[in-house]
Amino acid sequence: MAEIRRSGELIEVRVGRRERQALAKILERLEPMLEESHWTNSRAYEDDAEEEEFQRLVGSDLEQARADDMAAVRSALEADSPIRLDVEQTWRWLRSLNFLRLALAERLGIEEDGWEEQYSPREHRRPPLATLHLLSWVQEELVEALAGG
Amino acid sequence: MSAIEELAAQGTGTSDQTEQHRDRPWRVIVWNDPVTLMSYVVFVLRRLFGYDLETATQLMLKVHNEGSAVVATEARERAEVTVAQLHAHGLQATLARD
Repeated sequence: MAEIRRSGELIEVRVGRRERQALAKILERLEPMLEESHWTNSRAYEDDAEEEEFQRLVGSDLEQARADDMAAVRSALEADSPIRLDVEQTWRWLRSLNFLRLALAERLGIEEDGWEEQYSPREHRRPPLATLHLLSWVQEELVEALAGG
Repeated sequence: MSAIEELAAQGTGTSDQTEQHRDRPWRVIVWNDPVTLMSYVVFVLRRLFGYDLETATQLMLKVHNEGSAVVATEARERAEVTVAQLHAHGLQATLARD
């Protein structure tokens, strides 16, 4: 199983070859969902005109930042070298994982707290829920490792 | 200069707004969603606002238990930047007049 831990100033993501491939595949499959997701494209204003102006100013920047974050994660997963992240790189992973989790949860129809209890243990162990849990685990471990510094 | 930095410098106030309106504080509100990890919300609030662990945790719990929490009250231009930063971290955030 993967291990995520702090090593000096860096966060080490120790994952095997197959786990890296699996994570890269998940990213590849979920990233296109972000564009259509309500949760990953939040509104700042209720008023349409104010929202339009807000999006005109920051919308493309936010999209680019998210794409850059995803690209950084993909690059690390696909590289043939150990994954060692500095603070800013770790934040790229955290943000990406959050967007991927939101998009997947939305696709699954998860809308309210307590959704975990609506699924059987068997469903929790199999995709797509198992995918959500895997992403949650990586994100939680990264937060813990970064906070531990 | 990125658009977010540009916002910080210029704001997005429309021309028909009075100076008085622009100066009124705006509330930055974070909304609950059922999947974002509590630990991540605390971490983001600490990073963006410099809150200590206890303050960030209390705000996160308010979001979780009550559905939303005001995490900052700022001039509109600054509040828009803050909301953009929260969106960049995947949190659900809006702003509203105080």
